[in-house]
This record gives sequence, C-alpha cells and structure tokens, in this order.
Amino acid sequence: MSAVHGILSRMKQDLALVRGSIMEGLVFRTSTFASIIGNLIYLVIIYFLWKAIYDSSPTDTVNGMTFYDAMVYLVLASAMFNFLNNFVVWDLGRGYQSGEIVEFLVKPIDYQRYLFWGTSGNSIVTFLITFLPTFFAVYFITHGSFSLGINLVFFAVSVVLAVAINFCMDFFVGTICFYTQSIWGVNIMKEVVISLLSGATIPLAFFPEQLRKIVDFLPFQAIYHTPLHLLTGEGLVISDYMKAIGVQLLWAFVMLFISKAFWKRSLKALTINGG
Amino acid sequence: MDQEKKTLGFYAHIYKMILLQDLKSKMSYRADFIISTIGMLFTNISGFVAFWILFQSFPDIKGWNYYEMLFLYGFSMLAMTPVQCFFDNNWNLSRALRTGDFIKYCFRPVNLFFYFISEVFDVKGLGQFAFGIGTVIYAWNKLALPLTFANIAWLIIGVLSASLFMIALMNFAAATGFWLIGATSVMIFMFKFKDYARYPVTIFNRAFQFVFTFLIPIGFMAYYPSLYLIRPEHLSVLTYLTPFFGVLFFYLSYRFWMRGAKQYTGTGS
Repeated sequence: MSAVHGILSRMKQDLALVRGSIMEGLVFRTSTFASIIGNLIYLVIIYFLWKAIYDSSPTDTVNGMTFYDAMVYLVLASAMFNFLNNFVVWDLGRGYQSGEIVEFLVKPIDYQRYLFWGTSGNSIVTFLITFLPTFFAVYFITHGSFSLGINLVFFAVSVVLAVAINFCMDFFVGTICFYTQSIWGVNIMKEVVISLLSGATIPLAFFPEQLRKIVDFLPFQAIYHTPLHLLTGEGLVISDYMKAIGVQLLWAFVMLFISKAFWKRSLKALTINGG
Repeated sequence: MDQEKKTLGFYAHIYKMILLQDLKSKMSYRADFIISTIGMLFTNISGFVAFWILFQSFPDIKGWNYYEMLFLYGFSMLAMTPVQCFFDNNWNLSRALRTGDFIKYCFRPVNLFFYFISEVFDVKGLGQFAFGIGTVIYAWNKLALPLTFANIAWLIIGVLSASLFMIALMNFAAATGFWLIGATSVMIFMFKFKDYARYPVTIFNRAFQFVFTFLIPIGFMAYYPSLYLIRPEHLSVLTYLTPFFGVLFFYLSYRFWMRGAKQYTGTGS
C-alpha cells in the first residue's frame, strides 16, 4: 500500500514539473519566431542542395532513396531537432560554475529526474506546434509518401525512447562540464557528433559501408535514424520494428545507467566555493 | 580631444591595449580555451566529412566537383574568421543593454562601436583560421590552380571582403537588441547563414539566387569571390563588386548599430 502511495506521490511531483514547463513553453517569444523562420530557410537550402545533388546523379534512386525520400527524411529530422534540442548541458554547466546547483541538491528530488520532467513540457509543446504540422504538411505535399498504419505506433514509442536517450546523453555531457571549465566547447562537440552520426544532417543510407558499420554500433543513430526509419521505411515487418525498439531500449538503459553513475561519482568530487 | 586627432594610429594603439587585457584574463581559463578550440575544429571537420560522405554517392553537385566544393568551404571558413575573432562581443550586447552595463561605453572619448567591439578577442577563431588555410591549400593543390601573384592577392582581398558581409549581418542582428528583447535568437538565426555560405549560389532557382545575393548576401561569403580563382571562365561582375558591396554593407550595419546606440537610455539605475 505504501509502495503504491510512493509511486503516486512521485507521479504527482513529475506531473507538476511537466505542467510548469508546458506553461513555460507556451510563452511565445521572439526566439520561437526566429527559430520558425530559421527552419524555413534551412528547409529551402537543403531542398535546393539535395535537388542539385540528385540532378547530377545518373539515377533517380541513390542508396535506396529517391529525392523525395531524402527530403521527407531531412525535413522530419529538422522538425525532430526542435523538440530534441534542450539546454540541459548549459543548465548543468552554468549551475556548476555559479554554484547555484547546490540549491537543487538539497531539495528532496533527484536532480536528473527534476531536469528531465522540467524540460519535457517544452519538448511536448514543440512537438505539438512544430513537429505535428510539419508531419502533416509533408504527408499531404508528398501525397502520402509514408503509410499511416502500425508504423505510427512504433514511431511514437521510438520517439519517446529517442527523447530519453538524447536527454541522458545531454545530462552526461553536462556533467563533464564539472571538470572542464568549458561549456561552449563541450556542448559544441556533442552537437556536432550527434548531428552527423545520428543521421540528422545526412541520412545514414548515404554513409559508406565501413563507416555505417561503426555508426550502427554507436548510440547516436537511436536518436534520429531509428524513429525516422521506422516511420518512413518500406516493407518493414513486426520483427524489424521490435528489433529496432529493442536496440533503442538497450541504449536507453545503458545511457541512463552511465549518466547516473557518472553524476553520482561527480557529486562526491563536487566542491563549490562558499559564499 | 578633437575628433580629428583620433587617427588610425590612435585607434590601433588603444586596440592593442584592450586586446592585451582581454588575453590576460583569458589565460586564466586555459582549459576552456583548449576545449573550445577543439570544439571549433570538430565543427570544421564535420563539414569536411559531410562533403566526403556526399561525394561517395555522387560524382558532382551541379557540375561542382569535390575539390571545388572543398575550396568554397575552406574559403568560407577563412571569411568567417574575422567575425569570430574580432566581433564576438556582439553576442554580449543584449545582456549589456539589459543589465545597464552598456552605459559605461557611452562615456568614453572614443568611437562607441569601436570600443564595445574591441573589448573581446575570441581566440578559438584562430583554430578555424588554421583549418580554413589547410583546406584551401589542399583544394588549391588538387585543382592545380596557378600560384600567381594576382591569385594570392585576390585570395586575400576576396577573403577580407567576404568577411565584411558576415560581420555586417551580425552587427544588424546584434543591433536589433537596442529595440527588441530576445536579440540573441535573432543572432543565432543570422549566424546559421555562415553554414550555408559554402554552397554555390547556382544550386538555387532564380528567385532564391536573388535573395541570397542581394537580401541575405551569403553568395558573397565564398561563391562570388571564389569564382575568380576556381572558375575564371565564368566570372560574374559580382565577383569584382564583392569588395565594394562588402564595404557598403558593413557601413550600413555600422550606421544601424550606432543609431540604436544613440537612443539607448540606460536602465535607470
């Protein structure tokens, strides 16, 4: 009985955090406007770039992808970027440098959990106001280039796992800032590695075989490639879906474990100037 | 002091003094400097790798081969060095305005824009500069471009002129902070254009060629000036106009910035 009570009160805490961060996400800011325009221009540029690339190719299909497939993939990847992008590394790094992180450590809630739910609202809002419209726009413009069936269920599960893996990675990288004095440098390395090796900038189908083999063994592809592959891939059967989700689950647990262990270790070594 | 007495030498001297102070304070965060430089190299290398991956599947992009694209990429990195190294303090403008710190710049007997901008020298831009030079030399060799005095001179003029466009864009973006809250997001938005400067403008259709030449002039950040070196047979008149447009664009951004600064009234505290 008390176990049930414990879980319920935890969920109540989490829900309060989610509600608060949704409110935060709903405040319309200049940044929202700038990022929407920025996205549109980015889409224009990748459209012309990939069109030029495909125009120069002797065949319509390259590495199993047509121009449309590549566009759909890249447009949805950029829409995913919006809700996967967060400032967890900056929160941790700045919190450490200013010492303000201590305020959270004395609170009766695990900091990782606090940050996760505290940023989730923003992801939910961005998912609803940018990803979903993009998703439907792409679907109708391309006259249904991907099917709307069982793949949607697996896509949804896969996106949730992608958010979790991405968050744990950010949390891990944020903790690295405790040792480096540098936030910008650490963060930019993370961004570059994820955007290239996850298939967010160039679909993994275009990677040369050797490189692809390496990338498949890394956790990054579970963030962008897996959900998009499950959504747009053709001829996938249930076992393909289960396998992909299984790999993602594995990475989610591994990253959660690593980030938690590293965090605990770092807290022991944490010293913050008094004052 | 009279306005006339502030010669170029005067400003050069002041710049040196401010720069040395900034470098001294930077030296106390050596780890940050090293890690930031490595981070910068990461972004440069990833652009390189992205081209390499694309060209594994495609022989060329609208007639542009791998080495020509690399040349444009290297050129754009060089052109982005000045904005990174010398004009980085623009990123701090909106905070300085909000906290009221900006008022201190208004009471010095030197040019306001100069004084504000000179305060920060961003060292990590130098890593990008080195990588850009390496890329240009590599592509230059592979394309077997003639190593003449004219070519070298144009490379230097071209890079300097091209850099003015990005500096101007960032000045415009930062100066919106005099009127808007949230200017940082405008800057992030503008700063992204440096990533698009590495593509030939010819990949766009006519309407967007116009946009990216005259409205958001990313075509001048690598493509037009590079034509002189890698496509001398397809020279555009815009290639020769690059330095003039660059100066003009920079001047307009400077005036815009100063206009914003003039109507700054402080925070009242």
